Amino acid sequence: MSQLPPIELKLTEEQRDCYQEITNVAMGQAADLLARLLEVYVILPIPNVNLLEVTELQMALSAIEDTNSVSSVCQGFIGSGISGEALIIFNDASFEDIAKLMDYHGELTDTVEIELLTEVSSILTGACINGFSTQLDIDFSLGHPVIMGQHCNIAELVKAENKHWKKALAIEINYTIKDYNIDCDLLLLFTEDSLLSLNERISCLL
Amino acid sequence: MATPILICDDSSFARKQMARALPKEWDVSITYAENGEEGVKAIREGKGEVVFLDLTMPIMDGYGALEIIKAEDLPAMVVVVSGDIQPEAMARVKKLGAMDFIKKPIDEAKITQVLTQFGILSP
Repeated sequence: MSQLPPIELKLTEEQRDCYQEITNVAMGQAADLLARLLEVYVILPIPNVNLLEVTELQMALSAIEDTNSVSSVCQGFIGSGISGEALIIFNDASFEDIAKLMDYHGELTDTVEIELLTEVSSILTGACINGFSTQLDIDFSLGHPVIMGQHCNIAELVKAENKHWKKALAIEINYTIKDYNIDCDLLLLFTEDSLLSLNERISCLL
Repeated sequence: MATPILICDDSSFARKQMARALPKEWDVSITYAENGEEGVKAIREGKGEVVFLDLTMPIMDGYGALEIIKAEDLPAMVVVVSGDIQPEAMARVKKLGAMDFIKKPIDEAKITQVLTQFGILSP
């Protein structure tokens, strides 16, 4: 049997647009949940969808500057031949306002920050992944959230995240909250192996 | 006569989905716009008696388009179709004169219901 040539990963403009719109709906559902919980308005941008080398990840994180100190949580998901990770990155300057909104008035220790980080991340990540998978009729199982770093910079974070896969479908959502100094990036990274199944799923919608 | 309707959304996928979700028996001529600015232009040209308007768009978003429609009193019945379903977004577009708000992903039954409710479509 002859060896199959390697499949070249591609993303057509039509597919990119479709992922963007599906994300748009999913992130809207997540924002709505957070908005109702914290009684705020979440400003929704147009999400960025890119097929990129994992080494380019740092550049893709446009919303948070390298100089800022960040904290991050990562949660894996898998199902229907699709797997990936949701990485949420908070600008550390956000915690003061997050604490205020969550009605926490004590001292902001590292432990408290991690609690707040985990809490907000699980809401945003859970709702967003759920919204995304429902539209594509996929059942994802979510892994446990893992703290990727606290008070670190993006470069360190990407290094930690840069595992075995080279290419990824990266969807970047930058959430900010109106009238508050809260800024976070939610990155959905789908492994290159998932792309065929994913593209197949959206082809039914196109 | 066919009703001139306008679908204003930056995503071509969303525009297609919206067009497919329209009631089959409804006699319409559809114009598409990719942002608020193009949308307002089409409405001024009389191409948007009924408008399905997205909120998050580049160049000019849905709020910007609604402000102009209101300020110039343009003859358009606007239904906002958006993924931003936060209470504040819904309240804001109603205040800006939108007839109704439909959540994405689009539900065909909901569209027919809204159109019927406002007398655009006879039951």
